[in-house]
Amino acid sequence: MDSDSQLVARAQSGDQQAFAELVRCYSALVFRLAVSILGREFIPEAEDVAQEVFLKVHHAIESFRGEAEFSSWIYRITFNQAVNLKARVRFRRPHADETVLYQAVSPGPGPDRQAETAQRDQALAECIQTLPEIYQSALRLYYWLGSGVGEVAELLGVPANTAKSYLHRARQLLHGMLKEKGYSCD
Amino acid sequence: MEPREAEIDSLLRRSMAAPVPSLPPDFDQRLMRELRRSSQPLDRYRRILLTGYGLTSVVTSTVVMRGQGLDWGAISVMILGPLALVAAARWARRATYTTMGHGAKQT
Repeated sequence: MDSDSQLVARAQSGDQQAFAELVRCYSALVFRLAVSILGREFIPEAEDVAQEVFLKVHHAIESFRGEAEFSSWIYRITFNQAVNLKARVRFRRPHADETVLYQAVSPGPGPDRQAETAQRDQALAECIQTLPEIYQSALRLYYWLGSGVGEVAELLGVPANTAKSYLHRARQLLHGMLKEKGYSCD
Repeated sequence: MEPREAEIDSLLRRSMAAPVPSLPPDFDQRLMRELRRSSQPLDRYRRILLTGYGLTSVVTSTVVMRGQGLDWGAISVMILGPLALVAAARWARRATYTTMGHGAKQT
């Protein structure tokens, strides 16, 4: 199987099969990164971002000089594309209410407890939204999408220790914010 | 992991548990179709139309500007200047994709 650099070189010379192979290798990861930035309310938009990223990459691949890894380049385009889209759609009504999703996966023991859990989850979701984009993305990749620290680091283009520190700092911030709102974490 | 962090870690695991989305299975095919469509060169008719439009604009602008008493040097600058700007913008856009840095991360 060809390496990224070989596939890129072939794609740069107009080989559509090579580009299709790059799409096959990266589409799922690009989508995961886009979803991690946009959140679960905007999954269709994340699909649009993935498509737009590949259109842009196809358009610009001839100018890619290989100074960075192809993967870093495509993840950076994805990050910027998703953050830009998020700025435009954040005030739009989401496709699904997050609390509905929580209830679907975690039915509580009683109505009171359920309501309490839902309220705390809602508060937590709101706190997450106030974190820097890169922390939000790291949290969603790690806790929702099941990425390991290595994948979080790769998608965000940082060393593994930095990804760990993003997660650590995000947890610290969330703990403080929840406490401030009067919720316990246990 | 300290106890305080372990608590929030466990809460995050419970609270963020939800089905993991994935791309539709035909995403790759749809994308390649879209790419083929968007990278097709302009067909003959559209090329002729665009060229005709461009030439008509240049001739009309030249006649109007000459009518206003402008010399040929100024007319050339006014016509070629915007064309150079468009070319520069295209070049800059391509260069941006090539050298996208990591500066905009902590937004």
